[in-house]
Amino acid sequence: MTGPLSGYRGIVLTQAWAGSYATQLLGMLGAEIIQVEFHGRPDSWRGSYDRPIPETVQSAAGASSDQHPWNVHANYNSVNLNKQCITLDLTDPDGIGIFKRLVPLADFMAENFAPRVLGNLGIDYESLKVIKPDIILCSLSAFGNNGPWRDVPGIGGTIEPISGMSSLLGYENGSPLNSGQMYPDAAAGLNGFAGIVTALMHREMTGEGQYVDLSMQESSIAFIGDALLEERMTGNVRGRLGNRHMTFAPHGIYATSGNRWIALAAESQRQWETLCRIAAHEEWVTDPRFVDNAARKTHEDALDAQISAWVAAQERDALAAQLSDSGVIAAPVHDALEVADDEALRERGFIVDVEHPEAGIHPQAGIPAQFSNTPAAVQRHAPLQGQHTQNVLHRLLNIDEDEYRDLLDRGVTGAGPSN
Amino acid sequence: MTQTSALNGIRVVDLSTSVSGAWCAQMLADFGADVALFEGPVGHPVRALAPFDDANNSVIAEYVLANRRSAVVDVDQAGGRAAIRSAIERADVLVSNGSPAELAAHGLDYDSFLSSNTANPGLIVCSITPHGSTGPASEHPGNDLTAAAMSGWASINGLADRSPLKPSGLQSSYCAGTMAYGSIIAALLSRHNQTPHRGQVIDVSEVEVMASTFSPALLNSQYLGEPQARQSKVDMSTGPVPVNDGHFALTISRPHFWRDAMNVLGLDDLADDPRWATSWYRKEHSEEYVDRAQAKLAKWNKMDLFDTLAALRVIAGPVLETDELADNLHLRDRGFFRSPNEGGPEYPGPAFKMGASPARLVKRVPKPGEHSVEILREFAGLKKADIDALLASGAAR
Repeated sequence: MTGPLSGYRGIVLTQAWAGSYATQLLGMLGAEIIQVEFHGRPDSWRGSYDRPIPETVQSAAGASSDQHPWNVHANYNSVNLNKQCITLDLTDPDGIGIFKRLVPLADFMAENFAPRVLGNLGIDYESLKVIKPDIILCSLSAFGNNGPWRDVPGIGGTIEPISGMSSLLGYENGSPLNSGQMYPDAAAGLNGFAGIVTALMHREMTGEGQYVDLSMQESSIAFIGDALLEERMTGNVRGRLGNRHMTFAPHGIYATSGNRWIALAAESQRQWETLCRIAAHEEWVTDPRFVDNAARKTHEDALDAQISAWVAAQERDALAAQLSDSGVIAAPVHDALEVADDEALRERGFIVDVEHPEAGIHPQAGIPAQFSNTPAAVQRHAPLQGQHTQNVLHRLLNIDEDEYRDLLDRGVTGAGPSN
Repeated sequence: MTQTSALNGIRVVDLSTSVSGAWCAQMLADFGADVALFEGPVGHPVRALAPFDDANNSVIAEYVLANRRSAVVDVDQAGGRAAIRSAIERADVLVSNGSPAELAAHGLDYDSFLSSNTANPGLIVCSITPHGSTGPASEHPGNDLTAAAMSGWASINGLADRSPLKPSGLQSSYCAGTMAYGSIIAALLSRHNQTPHRGQVIDVSEVEVMASTFSPALLNSQYLGEPQARQSKVDMSTGPVPVNDGHFALTISRPHFWRDAMNVLGLDDLADDPRWATSWYRKEHSEEYVDRAQAKLAKWNKMDLFDTLAALRVIAGPVLETDELADNLHLRDRGFFRSPNEGGPEYPGPAFKMGASPARLVKRVPKPGEHSVEILREFAGLKKADIDALLASGAAR
């Protein structure tokens, strides 16, 4: 693998989104990531094994005629790039035995089971530390590894409300909302990534490993931390602002021609006056209601009505380009397919076409950071379930083919439903 | 002897001008780096962001500019610019939000710091900009709103019959700042592991970080050949619905969560029917159960229902507001709210707990220029006479 983390190895039990995204970022930056998937309790983001495979996936360009439901779920395949996958039944003595033989070969480990699971399997941090004293373990759980809610389960859809995020997401005067997909997982993944590299840095400086305890509730709160601090400093309980900004106006999303939407904002008087010129409404500049940011903020409903009326007849992309080129904050609201087709994102190498042996060729979100001296690259599609079991066990543990076949026959490893 | 900060001895020049860069530098400071904020004569732009407390302090500045020292240095004056260049040439890390053209205009383009004949080949430069520092949009302005629009997030947040909705607050800034932080640490590790020690430029685009967090919806939409749309209405499986004293989300995943939750709601027929055990089936037939279940939910108080389900180890999502979180016993038990060692309001955080090298919160936001003299001495390496001259000329304050 290439990238700044090349040379580090993670043996990870991550699954679903938060943990998988954290370890994908590490893999994208060059670390070797080996996901150990629990045979018999598979990664939930592979979906139900009895879920029908959508017709569109069966007929995708480059798709295999031999598709397995657990290998063609977009959720799993979107957050496990640059990884290898082995399967082990961790409730089987041989399965957990092999896992423990892998531990000394890892620089770091990560998992996002409920907190009691690792202890039940005999591989909690204290046990791992006995096997490898400088091991790094990052746990990403709903509420953290201690406290009264330690054993309460959670997923992004329940963490978003219980972290306060939902109370801030919504239209003005509307109800609290959850994100269109479970955003707290992404926030936790970024923070888990940050925690693990910090632990690697500490180990390089001191030789000491450590336990990183990430609560999804807390990592979500950290990302609305200014609202929490506002409550502590002023007593104000922040509500829902729609697309508005606490300081600047205009700041919103407006309908254009063709049932499309544009985002635009002015954070300076220069941007506002440029916007007025482009709108051919120079009278707005001297309108007492809009004369400076404070006035615009006071009269934001009237301001939004004026802008909506102007924008309604405009073409989204042409207007966004004209405003952006003139230094005004503006962007087309892209849907998911448009994001994948975005010229600038492709030109920068962020959107990459990834060929998956069963699901076919699809554009995917790549690496969200570029490194001038240690360039990182998307080098692997998300692994098939157990794709690398034989290779990894041979390469790292010298387990030969006969031994591997025996593990397969006994259901210690394998793909798909366990017998 | 064991150091307790992972980034002990790492010297950071913070030239951030937006929340993303400030948050990146905040994390570097929290984990032990020595961070010097260089702000212009009008102060860091986040100091002007609402809301404010009674003493007119920006809450956002308090949150993202803590734990560091501040020098006011005017980059538009030759002496100020030279001092900043000198500090960068002696630093481990530079954090900047400047676009390529802005940096060139100030004589601070990255290549000039990293060409092989400079004194500091180990410098790590992290650029955080709305669209990245290359490509057709590199000079376009942007903020959390445009990152939400271009990453796809706005298109799936909110309701189908209303406008797209950005994530609340400063999400792209915190995400990009965190990605930038992790990337800087990765570059420090790479520098540590190479001989000779070489730094590099890291280019982080706020749009790309948000599009990275959007990746499941992006690929699902590819697999289905149509873009994921905003939901036409909220039901308990997708988000918060009304309960007696607020809102509550019951976004059930595993089969036993479903069974136990339906039993708690008194809907035994739904609990017992095996068809409802899988989430894809529930999603496709949601109209058959949501009205009944939501009518039951509406009678509960949110924390009573949470406590009942939690005892059964079922996921449950009461909508909490910021004042309720500040009083939350679980968060209090974990020590999640803490004041700076040198005094100040209670901050939430950190985002993750490190056993051996914990985040520290030493001081709240500095006053602009509070540490100009010591920063010019320690970071820029200036002698007293040179510092006095900068202060006298107004290039520093």
